Amino acid sequence: MEIQFKTLTKKYGDYTAVSVDDLSIPSGESFGLVGNNGAGKTTLFRCLIDLIEPDSGCAMIDGQKTRETEQWKRHTGSYLDENFLVGHLLPEEYFDFIAAIHGIGESDLQLRVSSFEPLFNGEILGGKKLIRDLSKGNQKKVGIAAALLAEPKVLVLDEPFANLDPSTQIRLKELLKRLKHDRGVTMLISSHDLSHVTDVCERIVLLEKGRVIQDIQTSGDTLKDLETYFARVGSSSVQEEAQ
Amino acid sequence: MKNLLKIISLDWKSATRSPIWHRKLLINAFLALTFIYLIGNLLVLGIFLDDLLMKIPVDGVDYNTYGPSFVLRRLDRYLIYYFFLDFIIRYFMQKLPAMSVEPYLHLPIRRSSLVHFMLVKTIWSPFNLFHFILLGPFMVEVFSNLPFEQALGWVSGMALLIYSANFFLLYIKRTSEVDTRIYIGLLIALAALIGLHWYAIVDFNAISSWVFDSFFLHPWLAVICLIALLGSYGLNFSYLRKNMYLSRISRSGRNEVSYVGSGILSRFGLVGRLTELEFKFIWRNKRPRSVLLITVLFLGYGLIVFPQAEYAGNYLMYILFSIIITGMFMLNYGQYLLGWEGTHFDHILTRNISFEHYYKSKFLLFAIVSGVAMVLSTPYAFFGMKILLVLFCVFLFNIGINTHIVMFFGSMNPKKIDLSQGTVFNWQGVGAAQFLLVVPVLGAPLALYGLGMLFWDELGAVLLIGVVGLIGLAGTRYWIQLLALWLKKQRHEISNDFRNQ
Repeated sequence: MEIQFKTLTKKYGDYTAVSVDDLSIPSGESFGLVGNNGAGKTTLFRCLIDLIEPDSGCAMIDGQKTRETEQWKRHTGSYLDENFLVGHLLPEEYFDFIAAIHGIGESDLQLRVSSFEPLFNGEILGGKKLIRDLSKGNQKKVGIAAALLAEPKVLVLDEPFANLDPSTQIRLKELLKRLKHDRGVTMLISSHDLSHVTDVCERIVLLEKGRVIQDIQTSGDTLKDLETYFARVGSSSVQEEAQ
Repeated sequence: MKNLLKIISLDWKSATRSPIWHRKLLINAFLALTFIYLIGNLLVLGIFLDDLLMKIPVDGVDYNTYGPSFVLRRLDRYLIYYFFLDFIIRYFMQKLPAMSVEPYLHLPIRRSSLVHFMLVKTIWSPFNLFHFILLGPFMVEVFSNLPFEQALGWVSGMALLIYSANFFLLYIKRTSEVDTRIYIGLLIALAALIGLHWYAIVDFNAISSWVFDSFFLHPWLAVICLIALLGSYGLNFSYLRKNMYLSRISRSGRNEVSYVGSGILSRFGLVGRLTELEFKFIWRNKRPRSVLLITVLFLGYGLIVFPQAEYAGNYLMYILFSIIITGMFMLNYGQYLLGWEGTHFDHILTRNISFEHYYKSKFLLFAIVSGVAMVLSTPYAFFGMKILLVLFCVFLFNIGINTHIVMFFGSMNPKKIDLSQGTVFNWQGVGAAQFLLVVPVLGAPLALYGLGMLFWDELGAVLLIGVVGLIGLAGTRYWIQLLALWLKKQRHEISNDFRNQ
């Protein structure tokens, strides 16, 4: 499914959080979003999944404006932060509930949940801890699994690698690659970890102050290019602030 | 010492920058007025305490026997009950001195000075100061009535005892929260004391007199109170010092939870599932759980009015109490309808849950709890079938009309609620909507009753309330659609507010 942003802007007072003229992500593309803090990555995501109302323009999934329809919710899995989790449930109960929303049967659910076991690494299932009592990393595992549970055609993940242990990071990368390859999932992933994001995504967009600065097809040089960019950007913005 | 001053200033900042100051002025003014009213009441009671004591008839004691110490002796007879009540009130209401010590533990500050700071801070607890407002005028009088050293002995004894009670309670409360055996022990002790009093095995008045009279008869006994104070302080100090580690202090309520699968409610489809989640939510969080507990207690609310001869046939009272009996839960829980979901509101928005499903699940929850309350309150029929009729008609009104009113107000400008806190003195989530809510919920049935009285008799008026409730119930689908539309308009604003709170 295709994702499109059209003349999308979001301002907080005078501060422009996001200003994206025309950005479209074709169906089945793995799309990475990078940028420093405050670049507008999360705001862009929130506009896409209708958590924030943009000041102008719109975001579309499969040609439908996410603000006006709710169809996209059937095919979109997303995890941005802990607000997406229901803290007073056990992970299993949470998965049950997600399955009920999407009409996934009992045996199907068991199968899907157990397929996440490599990701969970034995830490999530069968425990007696409520989601809110899990560590940040384990909460993220639950959130990502819940986003994937309904086999979405569009996947939106904000900083999926942060807080995860190294094994899970590697397994998550494998999982994401497989999803793209086997099921043609359209993926939107933001990350501060340049090596992971260049590894997983075939296209990378660089945001700065809410604007698209670079739009790169990932190649062997991309990681290096990005690193030099970020090394430079940090110092130039410091100079700007000093002025 | 320098460190301690630094901590005090940080603590002061945490108080002055508390989110409560960002509340609407109206609410803070209302709370301030309530507070002033309470203090005023205590003060007036304190000033007239001696007159009140003189009015209590006590057989066989002559005013002249004891002269000027007579009033004091009278008070002493009851002080044991006073401290007993104080203990119970403190146990349920006084908060443990919580300072988020985590940010300081890794700094080069002595552990003991942190503990001292936490404990000394409780001196200013309202639960201690209230005593001095109530007993203050009396203490002044004691000084003018008795010889100085006697008065000093009694007053300082009392003051030291109040603070001993403070620290003793903090210790008991802290340990009983960790160890349920202490809690059970307390309950047994309470039952034993009530039993001893009930069957008049022990004359508590005599004990009370003996203990508290000796404070002024033997002023040096204040030293014992001082020892009690230091002892109770020391108990707290050593306990806290030993247990002041991250793992023990933070998240003490991290209980193990067993998996609970879907139950009978899942037959109602997704709406039933949502309602089930809500029941889990209520059971697994402290504050909503105490709301449920309060609801159970208020089932007995009718006993205040229904059996009393002076209220016989007073239908306005019957209606008012009936609204509370079957509607307590929806009022108390529903007023924060969206606030409860503050931590996972984005989950609701991004998942394929329509707002209609969402409100239907809330409606189902309120209908179930009210229905159970209705069934449980049928024994009130013992006081007359008319009372049962009022209860039932008001119950219909509650689930037909009041549910929707409550859901509407509960969705207005919601505040995120910290679920780990209890209900007592917890004003989090309170906004103008929570005050306004009461007006239609209590007012509408009374107005309907008034309207009905213009045309028919009491029974007709009560039936009118029930009929209107039924009409409301028939339109449930429509009301819920309206609510869903409304929430749809507000969704961005609400989720944004939650994220920023």
